[in-house]
Amino acid sequence: MMKGSISNRIRILRFHGGEMSQAELGERIGVTRQTIAAIESGKYSPSLEAAFRIAHAFNVPLDEVFQWDENAPQLK
Amino acid sequence: MLRIIDIMFAIVYIVVVDGGTKMPYREKTAWLSLLAMVVTFGPYFALVATRALPSEPSPNLRQLGLFAVTAIVEMLILGVGHLYLRHRSTQEARMPLDERDQVIMRRSLSSAYYVLIAGMILVGCVMPFNSSGWSIINAALFMIIAAEVVHYGVVVFSYRRQA
Repeated sequence: MMKGSISNRIRILRFHGGEMSQAELGERIGVTRQTIAAIESGKYSPSLEAAFRIAHAFNVPLDEVFQWDENAPQLK
Repeated sequence: MLRIIDIMFAIVYIVVVDGGTKMPYREKTAWLSLLAMVVTFGPYFALVATRALPSEPSPNLRQLGLFAVTAIVEMLILGVGHLYLRHRSTQEARMPLDERDQVIMRRSLSSAYYVLIAGMILVGCVMPFNSSGWSIINAALFMIIAAEVVHYGVVVFSYRRQA
């Protein structure tokens, strides 16, 4: 069975970005607050486009937001 | 019957009061649709299945009347419910579906499609050998409602587990 899943640092980046709210980030990239919450908690993997938009919103490269975690259990 | 009413009140409470601020608008509308179907088509199929309808000289009219009342009540519940939910979350209701909403929608529709296809095969290819008339029509209607329940059920389930 394939192992690994995508982890992210959105919570940390939001904190460093002046405690940006999930709703605010969602508004910037065109998704709902609930979708940001789902991405942040690792329950939903965003599309490549949304991932780039999130990185752009924080003004950082993509791999600073999302990482491939080899040992994490795969999302169902 | 009292247990069913308890469950319905619990759902209404979750949708309208408790989850009012946290629950996504689209999940609330899915709960509403599920509730409307249970409240209206539940009794309809219970009446039809138990043949509780008195025999009359015009059974077709009786069946059509029952179906019309059921459909009108469902539309009323959905209409009033949607207006209420829209009023409570105006901004969210105006937002177009985002990518996660679309994924959930696709997943729920594909699940419902299999139920509908299986049901239609059963109704169209098997039932004509041993049933006729209103039995077939009601079975087809049941399969459509079952597919709708699966559709909204998967929507609710997906939003609940945030996937």
